[in-house]
Amino acid sequence: MVKLSHRTSEPVTESVLSVKDLSVILSREGRPSRVLDGISFDMFPGEIIALVGESGSGKTSIGLTLQGLLPHEYLPQIAGSIRLAGIELVGAGRRTWQSARRHLVRAISQDPMGALNPTMTIRRQMRESNGRSEGSIEDWLSRTGLPDPDRIADALPHRLSGGQRQRVLIALAMMARPKLLIADEPTTALDVTMQAQILDLLRVLARDQQTAILFVTHDLTVAASLADRILVLYAGRIVEMGRMQDVARNAAHPYSAGLLAARFDLDSDRRRPLPTLPSEHTPSIRVENACAYATRCPIAQPDCTAIRPPLEPASVHGGAVACLHHEQTPFLSAQRADAKPWPAQAIQETAALRLSNVGKTYPTGARSFWGRRQPQPILRSINLSIKLGECVALVGESGAGKSTLLRIAAGLVVPESGTVTRFDKLPPQVVFQDPVASLTPWLTIGEQIGERLRAVSPDSDYGRRRVGEAIKLVGLDPVLMDALPAEMSVGQCQRAVLARAVIVPPRLLLCDEPISAMDVSLAATTLNLLSDLRRRLDMAMLFVTHDLAAARIIADRIAVLKDGELVEIADPDAIIAAPQSAYTRSLIAAMPSLQAGGGR
Amino acid sequence: MLTYLTKSIVGAVVVLLVMSFIVFGLQSIIPADPARAIAGPNAPPETVEAMREQLGLDDPAVVQYGRFLLRLAHADLGTSVRTRQPVSDDIQQFLPATLELGLASIALGVALAGVMAALQFLIPGSAGIRLAMVGVGSTPIFLSALLLSYFFWFQLDWLPGAGRLTYRDFAGPTGLNVIDGILVGRPEVSVDALLHMILPALALAQPIGVAVGRSLNGALHDVMSQAYVRTARGKGLSETKVLLRHGLRNAATAPLSMLGLQVRLLFGNLLVVERVFGWPGLGLYTVQAFASADLPAVLGVAIVFGILYILVNTLIEIGQSMADPRINL
Repeated sequence: MVKLSHRTSEPVTESVLSVKDLSVILSREGRPSRVLDGISFDMFPGEIIALVGESGSGKTSIGLTLQGLLPHEYLPQIAGSIRLAGIELVGAGRRTWQSARRHLVRAISQDPMGALNPTMTIRRQMRESNGRSEGSIEDWLSRTGLPDPDRIADALPHRLSGGQRQRVLIALAMMARPKLLIADEPTTALDVTMQAQILDLLRVLARDQQTAILFVTHDLTVAASLADRILVLYAGRIVEMGRMQDVARNAAHPYSAGLLAARFDLDSDRRRPLPTLPSEHTPSIRVENACAYATRCPIAQPDCTAIRPPLEPASVHGGAVACLHHEQTPFLSAQRADAKPWPAQAIQETAALRLSNVGKTYPTGARSFWGRRQPQPILRSINLSIKLGECVALVGESGAGKSTLLRIAAGLVVPESGTVTRFDKLPPQVVFQDPVASLTPWLTIGEQIGERLRAVSPDSDYGRRRVGEAIKLVGLDPVLMDALPAEMSVGQCQRAVLARAVIVPPRLLLCDEPISAMDVSLAATTLNLLSDLRRRLDMAMLFVTHDLAAARIIADRIAVLKDGELVEIADPDAIIAAPQSAYTRSLIAAMPSLQAGGGR
Repeated sequence: MLTYLTKSIVGAVVVLLVMSFIVFGLQSIIPADPARAIAGPNAPPETVEAMREQLGLDDPAVVQYGRFLLRLAHADLGTSVRTRQPVSDDIQQFLPATLELGLASIALGVALAGVMAALQFLIPGSAGIRLAMVGVGSTPIFLSALLLSYFFWFQLDWLPGAGRLTYRDFAGPTGLNVIDGILVGRPEVSVDALLHMILPALALAQPIGVAVGRSLNGALHDVMSQAYVRTARGKGLSETKVLLRHGLRNAATAPLSMLGLQVRLLFGNLLVVERVFGWPGLGLYTVQAFASADLPAVLGVAIVFGILYILVNTLIEIGQSMADPRINL
């Protein structure tokens, strides 16, 4: 395992990847847009660089460009230079790219569930992969910490869990001994405990195999626990780069500072709204000769929209920053701390929802002769009540039964045993994980929100006024009333979904992992919005999540679900200070934090 | 697998029972009098009455149905009114010709589908290919059969357009002429049989090719944008390998289902095409049976097609489970 680690002690190392002035233009529906703009950086063997930015910042495009896998229907135009292990790849032929992908650059992706061929055994997929690997397939599988590699090698992907698949994908990439590994949000789809293990594994692989890892993420906390250096990307440009710990401690660009402030963990202040980035604007200025962040920047000056800020040495750390006024950035955090605390929320004794001895099985066992499957218990005698005005967060890993419990609460799934009692006849409203998929693509936002006004036509003056009020309540621009979901950002869609849920305020709002697919600033914005709405409209809330930090921030009580059973339920700070169950302790231990780790 | 086959056979028996019930019901509803038909239109009433008694037509329906089932179990489908032969003998005589043509059409259809999907894949968004597909797809089969026979046989005389063999007295062991020619050591017969098959098989293959080709093309398009295809490309595999190893197999399920549906439609199309090309098979037999209100013959063919359909469906499902090992039969 340590046979290559002596390399780290070599005084001068040649860079393995050198990107110079890389620009990429993609044409979507005939409209060309510059997704990467003048990117330059170097990577050294064994180095881990975090590439951080919001969705749409171009961070995934960098990974795809480095692999030569930008979708060709977007007619990519690539300019600049990519030198990987001394080979120039921009403008290279198909064979050069294929050979580079085979031997030099590999990737693991965000979606371990979809990234393995469902009809091919792991062994065959791995056999295709080994470039010049000497170890056996089982060897590589066990190196990633997979138990029983023989069985896994002969399995089909659907037999494996998400964490196991991600390990297989890592083995698949690492067995080619690539010089560069692109890890595009590899832990987003995984539970925290699994996330911590995968991050450890990547760290070990970078050290032992001297593979440079470009770790693409929106999560600064994860980045901080892993990376040596960080690149902050905004609108296709690098706005800040430097040593991870330097930037985490003293961000020089207002955008990085905003991202850092928006991040929340188990120590964040939960009595007041979370700090967020100023909301996204569709860029109305021409950004060729301007700072792309200027429209959102709290310290923007007139010259920000007149000059494109060059990447220059930062004053606060040894890295570089592209901001004309970066000496102002440190004063930003002081402005943010004084948000007003949330008003106290009245919680009544009456229950908005009461589940008594609720049990549910799903037929997922072996098939009998007539094709019926054996029932497998998914929930066992759940007792849970949510008082009027109270917010309960339901925490647990995937497969624990969280979503089933929420669906039973919503009346979408009928439990086999036990009773469900709701305070009133009005059905609870549900907010699902994917806000874009929760909206009908061919109806305008106004129509979809107005649909819930049963007796009122959404086209009448009164109907439009009610819809307008709901839209304003969730902080959406009223002109979006006539927009289609495809014309809006994820954040705007999330607000529209909430407006639809609260136009007739329900007694109980059910949220199924509403922030798990969102980047940090959007997640913080959504948590603030939900906290605000439930207080203003006096709603009880069931908030299902696998994120303990989010649960702590939004909820009055946290309920922990493990294998279909409630293992504990208590006040958030009490649970985190003194977890009663081993499972909750492991959840807390696996939480990455900005202070710990990294920075070797 | 064994359970699956057992289940398929049980299912087939159930389907046959239901079909026999429908067939029997039809026989008693349709205002055709078998006794009168057999005795002849000019027979005196007492002869018809005697025939009725002989056929057991005066017995209660349940008894008649029981007798019908019993005969069915012995592969006795009754006597054809038109040929005066047992229907099962007729079917035995005409089935091989239909089987041969049907199998050739399916093979040709699948080949056409492959070519079409490949073309669309290689030249994405080509208006010419799409236009050709719409054109071919929207031509009804009776028209394309007529056009094929008119141009390639009647006008150009490139290919034979009537019957299934030039050698009139040839008879082989299996009844499938292409195979029999080889078995008997007369390759010229096989070639002749193949030439005769081209035009009718082309007519029958056209809807199969369009439907399966479209479905394959759509499925491939979907599959090739999946994350695992990106993983495969990321391994540095050539695009051909990615398509063959990772694309095709994952795209197979939907076109296979479509093929199953098309085979069912093929049974109906056989009637038209065999009529146009004078192909001496079950289709032509059925058309003639219709013309002379030969109910036993029509119903016998219906039962045979029913069995074939169940067989095809089973094969399709086995094929799907082979393409996608997650489908556990």
